[in-house]
Amino acid sequence: MSGTFSLRGVRLPAVQLSGAATVGMLVVAVIVNSALQPNFWSGYALTSNFATFVPLVAIAVGQTIVVLSGGIDLSLGAQVTLASVVAVRVVDGQLDRLPQAVAAALGVGLVCGALNGLVVALVRLQPIVATFATSFVFSGLALVVLPTPGGSVPLEVTTAYRAAVLGLPVALLAILGLALLWWALRRHRVLRHVYAVGGDPEAAYASLVPVARTRVSAYVLGGLFAALAALAVLANTGSGDPFVGNELTLASVAAVVIGGTSLAGGRGGAGGSMLGAIVLALVTNIVFFADVPTTYRQLVNGAVIILALALAGIPALQKRRPAA
Amino acid sequence: MSALLEMTGVRKRYGGVQALDGASLTAVRGEVHALLGPNGSGKSTLDKTLAGTVVPDSGEIRIDGAEARIGGPRDAHALGIAAVYQQLSVVGDLTVTQNVVLGLEPARRLGFLDHRAARVRAATALERFAAAFSGRLPLDRPAASLGPGEQQIVEVAKALAREPRVLVLDEATASLHKEQVEVLFEVVRELRAAGVLVVFTSHRLDEVFALCDRATVLRNGRTVATVDLSSTTEDALVQLMVAAPAQTPVETPDAPQGASRHVEAPVSGRTAESGAVALVVRGLTTDRLRDVSFTVRAGEVLGLGGLQGQGQSELLLALFGAARITAGDALLDGKALPLTSPARAARAGVALVPGDRARQGMFASRPIQENLSLASMRRRARLKLALSAAAERRAARSMVERLSIKIGSLNDPVATLSGGNQQKVVIGKWLLDQPRVVLLDDPAKGVDVAAKEEIYAIVRGLAAEGAVVILNSSDNRELTELSDRVLVLFEGAVAEELTAASITENRLVSSALRLAPGETL
Ligand SMILES: Nc1ncnc2c1ncn2[C@@H]1O[C@H](COP(=O)(O)OP(=O)(O)OP(=O)(O)O)[C@@H](O)[C@H]1O
Ligand SMILES: [Mg+2]
Repeated sequence: MSGTFSLRGVRLPAVQLSGAATVGMLVVAVIVNSALQPNFWSGYALTSNFATFVPLVAIAVGQTIVVLSGGIDLSLGAQVTLASVVAVRVVDGQLDRLPQAVAAALGVGLVCGALNGLVVALVRLQPIVATFATSFVFSGLALVVLPTPGGSVPLEVTTAYRAAVLGLPVALLAILGLALLWWALRRHRVLRHVYAVGGDPEAAYASLVPVARTRVSAYVLGGLFAALAALAVLANTGSGDPFVGNELTLASVAAVVIGGTSLAGGRGGAGGSMLGAIVLALVTNIVFFADVPTTYRQLVNGAVIILALALAGIPALQKRRPAA
Repeated sequence: MSALLEMTGVRKRYGGVQALDGASLTAVRGEVHALLGPNGSGKSTLDKTLAGTVVPDSGEIRIDGAEARIGGPRDAHALGIAAVYQQLSVVGDLTVTQNVVLGLEPARRLGFLDHRAARVRAATALERFAAAFSGRLPLDRPAASLGPGEQQIVEVAKALAREPRVLVLDEATASLHKEQVEVLFEVVRELRAAGVLVVFTSHRLDEVFALCDRATVLRNGRTVATVDLSSTTEDALVQLMVAAPAQTPVETPDAPQGASRHVEAPVSGRTAESGAVALVVRGLTTDRLRDVSFTVRAGEVLGLGGLQGQGQSELLLALFGAARITAGDALLDGKALPLTSPARAARAGVALVPGDRARQGMFASRPIQENLSLASMRRRARLKLALSAAAERRAARSMVERLSIKIGSLNDPVATLSGGNQQKVVIGKWLLDQPRVVLLDDPAKGVDVAAKEEIYAIVRGLAAEGAVVILNSSDNRELTELSDRVLVLFEGAVAEELTAASITENRLVSSALRLAPGETL
């Protein structure tokens, strides 16, 4: 009949399986990439690769939290854009204004996240529609703040971002920092409630979980991670761009799916999404270094992503058909 | 003694259904107060208004004489009220520990979780029920991997961990086996001795008489009586509950259906074992079944007994093609029965009323009519394609009447029905399919007395028409009443076979227990 027969003990292996699939994809991507990209393992190439990974990794963590809560945030890319242009306007090339710029970016993420959260949790609009709508508000505001690409980030910041500490690229440390942040959040009550609300909102409500507040928190956390992504974008590119976040939104959703988090909510984690984000970034690299003609690049990129999504989906299919 | 809890004039309306129509309930501390009534009479809704998950349209609730405004579960918690809901509120993806402490997680500074304290709290709350988990508490297992009875115990533990003054148990025993029920009763009696008020809802009247002091009976959302159970007979109580027929569905107003006919249903109707062997199961093995072999005759009702979770549900799922089979096979009327998918099993004439109705038995958000007619559609489809809306409605309508399912409209989603009425839909859906083999996993769970008799009558009717019936039940009374033969399972294997005269409640309990290690219960 329906595919709803889930027998005992079938769930857990499925989650582990999807973790294995993600790691497998990462390994393949790394091997292919290192074969194609000259000096893939050299210090310089590693540094610049990691430097481009950070924004997607950060936004993928944010998207994971929202998805775990049972929602989705299609405005995260626009939030990255808005936070980055606001920060670049605030810092205006001066190192002593860096703290204000960081605070401004985080403030933008917080406000955007809270707005999404309120619209979804209190006005009860469908997350996919609500955040699609707010994404236009945020991109529109970004254009008002910075109509054309420009503004500058202090040189010290861009240099530090590509430097290395104890032989480890700063960007890699940033990724480890994001992982640490996720690790800490996992141990916090808010994330536990996010899982509960995403898994079964009614049961969570009956069990004293503050459902609406938890939903808002999830979007706020999403916004804060978008702000971190914005800071990484600025450190990487050195200037502001009112369109920079456009492609990040759907990439973040793809990273979440590749990472094995269920779009239905309540199941998964950001560890997988971070790997998923790196897989996606490597795929872009591979397509670039494989000498795919420019006109076909996007097409090939898309095809590979579909393949990755399909691979990530296989364990889920098996889980649904334990009887087979 | 002054009342600890006073609910008066509580009303709640859902669309076309008046779930509560001025219900009242008064109870004192140190009392186990039964809340009774037929399916759909408003028991769960009244419980929910107390627990804060439903806010009544009007009505008054007083606790200790002071008016209580319960606008949500947190308000109820602040007043010392905890509830075990009929529709379980465990979150499947969280572990047992996480479920027990959910919403009240012990935390260190800044809201970081204290895992050790959580485990201790969960272990303390579950300890009493350890026997139900074969001795080892599954603290770190996802709740979804537990059986319905085990999940129910997790729910109970969650409520107990909240140390309530008022504990609401809404059919908390529905999926429990006798031994677990006994443990729960012990706990409830201790709470009563400590001054806690327990509001207890169950359709098993023997439990009500064994445990409760007084009973309030609801009918159509209204309180009809509160009685002292020590001076009330079971018959009198049943009379109070069924005196008026369950409110008839809106679409067929005043259909003449006296409830008395249910009560008069024959009680001992064991069918003769004259039929030929119809179902042969040989060496069936899965990761939870060990080499299970048996035969069933056409027209025979085979019961499955034993402690809960010894493979009974798994056996039914396996015969329905919903388990991975590593060895063994089954023959129906001499032909191999496909055990590879539920769809094929259904086509071969096998029907399953699953134990976990929320996950396996129904499409909660789809209309009642669709749920009822889905399994049997192909019978009515012309040229295997066209369905007539009228025929679908007629089929669904007849089942609604036969089982007196209390509904607003056939188009309402199943999720809006009361627990017992949902169960009736799940049963009805397969009965419409005129199956050859009927697998029943706790079919009368949460169903009221009258409908229970109706379901028993239907089961006997199916058997009389030559179907093979295999019945798993957590209720030994049900097994003794319906079965021609009982297989007692232990750790996935057939441990004993009881026939005819040896099928008694005592024998079932002792047979199940003698095999259990240590007799810890
Ligand atoms: N969320 C809802 N939406 C619509 N109708 C509802 C809802 N909840 C309950 N009802 C209706 O209210 C009535 C009372 O339901 P309730 O669950 O309180 O019954 P009950 O006495 O607990 O029955 P049971 O013994 O079957 O559990 C039923 O007719 C049911 O269909
Ligand atoms: Mg109920």
